[in-house]
Amino acid sequence: MAHTHAAHAQDHSHDHGNEHEHHLPFWRKYIFSVDHKVIGVQYTVTALVFLFIGFSLMMIMRYQLAYPGSPIPVIGQFLGEPIVGKTADGGYVMTGDGYNMFGAMHGTIMVFLGIVPLAVGGFGNFVLPLQIGAPDMAFPRLNMASYWVFLPGGLLMLASFFMTGGAAASGWTMYPPLAVTAANGETMWLLAMVLLITSSLLGSINFIVTTVQLRVPGLSFFRLPFFTWTQLVTAFLLLLAFPPLEAAAVMQLMDRVFDSSFFMPSGLVVSGVMQDQLAGGGSPLLWQHLFWFLAHPEVYVLILPALGIVGDIVANNTRKPLWGYRALVHAVLFVGFMSFIVWAHHMFMTGMGTTISTFFQATTMIISVPSVIILTCLLISLWGASIRFTVPMHFALAFIPMFGIGGLTGLPLGLTAADIHLHDTYYVIGHFHYVVAPGTIFAMFAGIYFWFPKVTGRKMNDLLGKIHFWPSFIAINGVFMPMLFMGMAGVLRRQFDQTEQLHGATVHGLTLMSSWSAWLLGVAQIPFIINFFWSIFAGKKVGENPWEATTLEWSAPSPPPHGNFAGTPVVVCGPYEYSVPGHERDYLMQAGKMEA
Amino acid sequence: MLAQVNFGTYGRWFPPQLSVHGGDIDYLIDIVHYFMLLLFVAWGSFFVYALFKFRQREGHKASYHLVKGKISKLAEALVIAFEFLVLVAFSMPVWATYKNDPPTSADRVEVRCVGQQFEWLFHYPGPDGKFGPRNASLITTSNPLGLDEAAPDSADDIQLINEFHIPTGRDIYVRITSKDVIHSFSIPTMRVKQDAIPGMEIPVWFKVKEGATSHAMKFEMTRDYGIDELNWYKLRHHVAVDDYRDKSGQVIFAKGNDLGSTYVDGQKRIDQLRAAGVASVKLEPRAPLEVVCAQLCGNSHFKMKAQMIVHTSSEYEEWVKEKSKPQADVEFEGF
Repeated sequence: MAHTHAAHAQDHSHDHGNEHEHHLPFWRKYIFSVDHKVIGVQYTVTALVFLFIGFSLMMIMRYQLAYPGSPIPVIGQFLGEPIVGKTADGGYVMTGDGYNMFGAMHGTIMVFLGIVPLAVGGFGNFVLPLQIGAPDMAFPRLNMASYWVFLPGGLLMLASFFMTGGAAASGWTMYPPLAVTAANGETMWLLAMVLLITSSLLGSINFIVTTVQLRVPGLSFFRLPFFTWTQLVTAFLLLLAFPPLEAAAVMQLMDRVFDSSFFMPSGLVVSGVMQDQLAGGGSPLLWQHLFWFLAHPEVYVLILPALGIVGDIVANNTRKPLWGYRALVHAVLFVGFMSFIVWAHHMFMTGMGTTISTFFQATTMIISVPSVIILTCLLISLWGASIRFTVPMHFALAFIPMFGIGGLTGLPLGLTAADIHLHDTYYVIGHFHYVVAPGTIFAMFAGIYFWFPKVTGRKMNDLLGKIHFWPSFIAINGVFMPMLFMGMAGVLRRQFDQTEQLHGATVHGLTLMSSWSAWLLGVAQIPFIINFFWSIFAGKKVGENPWEATTLEWSAPSPPPHGNFAGTPVVVCGPYEYSVPGHERDYLMQAGKMEA
Repeated sequence: MLAQVNFGTYGRWFPPQLSVHGGDIDYLIDIVHYFMLLLFVAWGSFFVYALFKFRQREGHKASYHLVKGKISKLAEALVIAFEFLVLVAFSMPVWATYKNDPPTSADRVEVRCVGQQFEWLFHYPGPDGKFGPRNASLITTSNPLGLDEAAPDSADDIQLINEFHIPTGRDIYVRITSKDVIHSFSIPTMRVKQDAIPGMEIPVWFKVKEGATSHAMKFEMTRDYGIDELNWYKLRHHVAVDDYRDKSGQVIFAKGNDLGSTYVDGQKRIDQLRAAGVASVKLEPRAPLEVVCAQLCGNSHFKMKAQMIVHTSSEYEEWVKEKSKPQADVEFEGF
């Protein structure tokens, strides 16, 4: 890995201390690294561990849901109070508090500690500079700071389980007055969120500046790979939407710790005790507005990188350009903009007047249009293709109908009158999980199988990949399809025992199906975990471009050295020049030549 | 039609629908779902077809030149038009009626409902039609609503915990608030849902269809269940109509009892009945109509529910007269 003068000349972001990179001590090369690739791997591994933890919480909850009041086998004894309580015959049954803690933390961990760090911190960090031909991010030290604020935030969030009162138990939505009056780990949650949000803000600034400033010659905006576009829009969403939540988190901290009343109304009586230590006069609805102002764009943060990954993989494995590239770009820009003016569709039942709720209903209907356009473009991209069913393509293809179901089930929820019946039911849970689980997470798997060779220089095993895919695909539908029916039957969310309510008891068979499917889904991840670690050491070695892809990252070595490219790539064409007539090979690299 | 617009029993697609406006909501949900199904089948068929037709194989090349056609633009325009139609012709009018026009009829029933962890408190004005004043500072365990008992209007007021009495055929106007945290006043069988937010009082209104009394529901849902049909989940809220004995004459399943309160208890009871050779049991629902809480409010959120008792209009008037008689001790069974 010769460190040439040319590569050094373009490394404007290099600090003199890094000039002779091979002299860096271990802790600066791999721990407190400023290299976007190391940071990307750090984010990816950390996020995957957090995803595993978040999923495990749900697998345990699913036992209480399936067999209400039954002692939890094997693990029950290790969970401790207040999560479980001991019964007369020595079994460990989950408590209502424990269930709510697991529920709140499952949501928080999956969204803020799992998906966003993986999709943005992991994939974005590793791939984006490579896809634009840059040697690193615009602000490498800021990048490092972003990871090292994220990790303590994540650890603090998890540590709350082991503190007095346990973890937060008021939903990932943390609505006051419950979240303020609860005697659980809500304070830790709020502190951890301040760290996590700060990390995201630092990262998003970096992504935007890098994409705008560090594109190599010839790489105009409309020649960017779709993945880069989605990362750019995502970064804007993070930058603009997170600050209100960070402010709100600080306000709620004040309410909890100092008895202020940003969100606490006057005259509260909790458990028969008048809460006159509070100033009063606050509004619980204020929190909801501030929270959802972030949390709606947040869901587009969850889906956009996934759409980008699927787009790149579909183009590569259809051996033709994406259909409707311009429409796709305009659609993601429009979705990004619209995502800021739909948030109150989460608040239709709060006593909203007809004028405002009609406004939000209309914007919610409008935002479904670009989603339909994106999905349709991906589908039509299959027409006239020559489809290679590689492992990444399995996951990318599965994403398409799954995102279809997720998106379509958003329609009845966005209509206020229909929402009267469906709000806070399992229909909502089915809807958003379809988008995030067989949607985004499948896209994440696709991305891992796809870019693993670039990161490690080795391919993951194909057979294990397919053994991972098929049971996962079947099981994940087994988990979430019943929920749509349960929601129609009126089964409500966040119910420790769904059979307590009559309409929940009668459809309990569906809960059983979800629970067993979830456990099956857990088992189905074992081939992936084995494959991931085994392939790092013993996977088939590959060169620069094992997938015969076109975008710039495939012009760098696998793995790329510090500084990424041997020279400066010069871009001569669009990102998906596959099967161009008159050429021998069925792909043209976007990097036409490499300048010294 | 996917919806059940008569009493029906629980467990199929929608729960029973007993209100006058609820049918419109169900209809809207149905047509949106037909639309969704249409889109999904169209997309899905195209998808499967394309995966097969354009799979990589010997002699087949991908096409760099992209397919052109007006069909996709036309389809998109139709999707947008349909969504617009649903929005303007169905959802907006139903929502407006539900939200904009509070009932003003002379015989409307006014109730105030206060949510607390983990009960629903109901306050009726009584025959004089006037609510006694309430004050948070008067709240005690025996006076959870903080009613000013001294005020003259309070004398005939009715206060209930977890019991919601209403008549059929008359407008029901409920003003909802909460004492402590956000709850959500939800009656699935009436397609009613409204957040109960402390510091705010939010009205909700509906009307029950004629004939849709609790008695009628109970009658609909009472039947014999063969021993192999017994399922703790489905029948958790049903109680025995008679006593059931084992071979030695010992009662193993007493009248008025349910199958059990956990999965383990339920299975045990069913096994006992099977071992005793019982061929079938007659079960009736304990409380076929419920008001539940739809917003997470703490560790017993799932248990926060009130029994809803729907009377005929004349039965309801009788009930009000009877209940509002001043009683020596109004006993609340604690929190």
